[in-house]
Amino acid sequence: MFGLPAIIIILAVPVFTALFILLLGTTKYYSKKIGYRLTVITLLILVYLLSADLSTAHSTLLFKELFNEMLIYDTYSTLFILLFILGTFLSLSIGKSYIYKSDIFTPESFSLILFSLFGMILLAMTNELLSAFIALEIASLSVYVLVGIHHHSLRASEAFFKYLLLGSFAGSFYLLGLMLIYAQVGSTHFNQIAMFMYTHPISEIYLIVAGGLLLMITIMFKIAAMPFGAWVLDVYEGASLPITAFMAGTFKIAIFAIALRLFIGIFAQIKDFYDPLIVASAILTLVSGSLLAMVQTNIKRMLAASSIVHSGYLLIGLSSIGEIGTYATQSILFYLIAYFISATGALGILAYISNGVEKEISYDSLKGLGRQHPFLSAALTVFMLSLAGFPSTIGFLGKFYIFTSAIEAGYTLLALLGILAAFVSIYYYFKVISMLYFYEAEGEKVVYGEAYSFLFIMLSSVAVLWGGIGTGLVSFMPGANAITDITHLVIESLYIFSN
Amino acid sequence: MLSLMIFIPIITSILLFIIPLSLRITKIISLLASTIVALLSLKVYSDFQAISSLQFVEQYAWIKSYGISYHIGLDGVSLGLVMMVALLMPLIGIGLINRDKKGFWLNLLLAQGGIMGAALSLDLMLFYLFWETMLLPIFFMIGLYGYGRNSFISMKFTLYTIFGSLIMLLGILFLAIAYKNQFGEYSFALNDMSQVVLSEKESLFTFLAFMLAFAIKVPLFPFHTWLSDTYRSASTGAVVVMSALMAKLGVYAMWRFLFTLFETTSNELSLYFIILGLFGLIYFGILAMHQSHLKRLFAFSSASHLSLIVVGIFIYDVYGLLGSSYFIVAHALSSAGLFLMVGMLYERTKTHSLEALGGIAKQAPQFGFLFAFFALSTVGIPGTAGFVSEVLIILGAFNYNIYVGFISATSILVAILFVFTMLQKTIYSKVQSATENFYDLSKSELIALIPIAILIVIMGVFPNYFLKQIEPTALDSISKTATIQGAK
Repeated sequence: MFGLPAIIIILAVPVFTALFILLLGTTKYYSKKIGYRLTVITLLILVYLLSADLSTAHSTLLFKELFNEMLIYDTYSTLFILLFILGTFLSLSIGKSYIYKSDIFTPESFSLILFSLFGMILLAMTNELLSAFIALEIASLSVYVLVGIHHHSLRASEAFFKYLLLGSFAGSFYLLGLMLIYAQVGSTHFNQIAMFMYTHPISEIYLIVAGGLLLMITIMFKIAAMPFGAWVLDVYEGASLPITAFMAGTFKIAIFAIALRLFIGIFAQIKDFYDPLIVASAILTLVSGSLLAMVQTNIKRMLAASSIVHSGYLLIGLSSIGEIGTYATQSILFYLIAYFISATGALGILAYISNGVEKEISYDSLKGLGRQHPFLSAALTVFMLSLAGFPSTIGFLGKFYIFTSAIEAGYTLLALLGILAAFVSIYYYFKVISMLYFYEAEGEKVVYGEAYSFLFIMLSSVAVLWGGIGTGLVSFMPGANAITDITHLVIESLYIFSN
Repeated sequence: MLSLMIFIPIITSILLFIIPLSLRITKIISLLASTIVALLSLKVYSDFQAISSLQFVEQYAWIKSYGISYHIGLDGVSLGLVMMVALLMPLIGIGLINRDKKGFWLNLLLAQGGIMGAALSLDLMLFYLFWETMLLPIFFMIGLYGYGRNSFISMKFTLYTIFGSLIMLLGILFLAIAYKNQFGEYSFALNDMSQVVLSEKESLFTFLAFMLAFAIKVPLFPFHTWLSDTYRSASTGAVVVMSALMAKLGVYAMWRFLFTLFETTSNELSLYFIILGLFGLIYFGILAMHQSHLKRLFAFSSASHLSLIVVGIFIYDVYGLLGSSYFIVAHALSSAGLFLMVGMLYERTKTHSLEALGGIAKQAPQFGFLFAFFALSTVGIPGTAGFVSEVLIILGAFNYNIYVGFISATSILVAILFVFTMLQKTIYSKVQSATENFYDLSKSELIALIPIAILIVIMGVFPNYFLKQIEPTALDSISKTATIQGAK
């Protein structure tokens, strides 16, 4: 039995801390400091409990009798859960300065973050379609509210309603697809669906194919792939910056947790049906995302648009997953990790320099930052380089893996398109860098508080660089090689159970 | 040892960024770092054995599952390049000693490390990493310390070059996957990848993908449209680094990577590139004649000479290759000296325009003499290193084909033409208002320029001493292609 007590704690602790903060929030003993610290400490405990499980490939069904094999705890879910927790931790740590200075972070916001974390953890462990939907909705609903938590701001309310309506609408496709699959298989368990497809000829599983297609629509919506991703710009812009960082970095990974499990696991046999659609969507996503990102003048919107482009790269990876697809899956996992650190860092810096005030950060407002805050600017430069896929950063290796697996799967032209999108992205990311350094400052030097946030910005920028050039020579710091090894274990663990 | 030469500048640069020191100490430390690298390079030179194999090889696994390793080494052709970078860098530093921006020094060191790394890499991924990374300091140097619409120009230059590099990346990935399909595992090592068998069409496309990146960097006609803007806007430091060091790397990479990876294809296509090179030689020469802006003039003249170097390597002749690798070093020395002096001239007169200059020789005899010397050494007057290399390349060209030989020999006259016109306008003729208060070279400027001049003369008078190090590699490379041609 692999760390089972730890799993119970991992599932229970976020929920109970969330409830506790909620209750405490109604008393006079609550202060923002306490809420924040409780959340962060909870996350640290979770990381501590989980991190040991990454070193082996393992797979366990959780509480077989109680949950009827709905939950599975394997290295795959361990990695994702760790990423969620680290992502939440990083967003909160970098965002600390913003959270403290802004007055929109009520006790509920910390609870909501933990609830959404709980939903994501469940999503990574789910082995069944219905519980996956429930987990997805737990996570999504919390994020919807977090987007609108700044209820005096019109823009935030607009974002909230847009996201809520579109999100629920997209969610209904999932239920429809689930129904079709259930109608044919008579079960919603991944293993049984896979078994059904294995034992029946293709002519008898058309309902599953159609159902899978509907599931895909929801997933595409959630990861902001075109033509379903138009909501991203407004929603990311309307949300307050730490929340945007949380959504762009952490929540996006969560969707991939379920998407990958579906595509490597149960839909592997009929993936040929979906590949043309995924490719079409990847092309659309890359092109429209690049165009959108190019024309933005607000950096937050630019990052939002560029996150669409990054979904496009991930779709390239998704379409290159073949029958066995180890390299392609590894490349997606690696890319997710790379993107998550870089995006959280970049948005985190924006949160840091906006000093807790909701305002538009245009390109011009970054002018002269390089001279006033050399370290902060260097970190932002590193994140931009990584997002652009410039060598010697982790983002480059991520793109390298994705493109390699695309060419290997025979999608050379798609890889070319990806490379062209990367070329365009150099333009809008380097524009930020040039604003930082090539212009004189317009205002006085602003002092940004919270050395704690600053520390984590620096740490993540070092991690971005180390992930790009790090080697096995320094054993206690896992470099690119170690991440690849872990992703390999992760894939392995997926096949332990099915055998 | 080679690793030290790559990473001393890079690490020094990073440390200097993190630890805030005064400008003076920053300068001293960065000069010290590049001097140490120069001393190391001398040690490498004396330990280098005149044989064709790779030496000082270091190899460590980097990303194991993809067979990417940190793999560096040195042979006769890269020796020249590495020596030149290592020796020029401290001199460039001394020549630009009055640059009062800390970032300038950090970027200079970073550029040095990147160029050194790219010149030594034997693994394609590692090469790509350095190839791209060395762009970043140039991006900053143009954007921060350039003239005119520099932030726009630096963006344009960066996008232009990165476009080429990204297409090359696609080529690299394509090759790596072909290797995996044929040998069952990934490898990005140059030696391994050269064994890949590609169909004619695949080989052509991959070759062109690589060529695009290199041709933009050199630049080869018609990929030169970034050149004049960039050189005009860039500060002296950036121009020296770009023209003297980075452009040479492009030519070197053609030889190192194209000739190793696509032996047959490069051989088959060689005629086209010889024609492109010869055309560039004349076209850039004529363009240079019509420039009134000093930096642009020299930008085109360097492009013209680089085209000749490209011709030299594509004629597949021992003399051609020897001459080209010699010219890489020789031209780097001359153009470094020249662009440094153009920078000094701008500091004194605040103009780059040929019309506004004149009579410098009268005002500042030392300046006039050295300026004329460097200008003439680029066109290869006898007694300078340029002469030796041009003679070798032309010899090779005649061996290849009498017409090619004839054209390359005569078109050098174009270069002589515009250099003499330029010299006549700047250092002779009448003293003008801009040059009225022209003062002569200072001590630090002399310290920077005289060693370069001496090196040029030594290389011109005793070429054998240097050529014997390159010769085995060149012979080996040519004999390989001879067997291919024989096989056909």
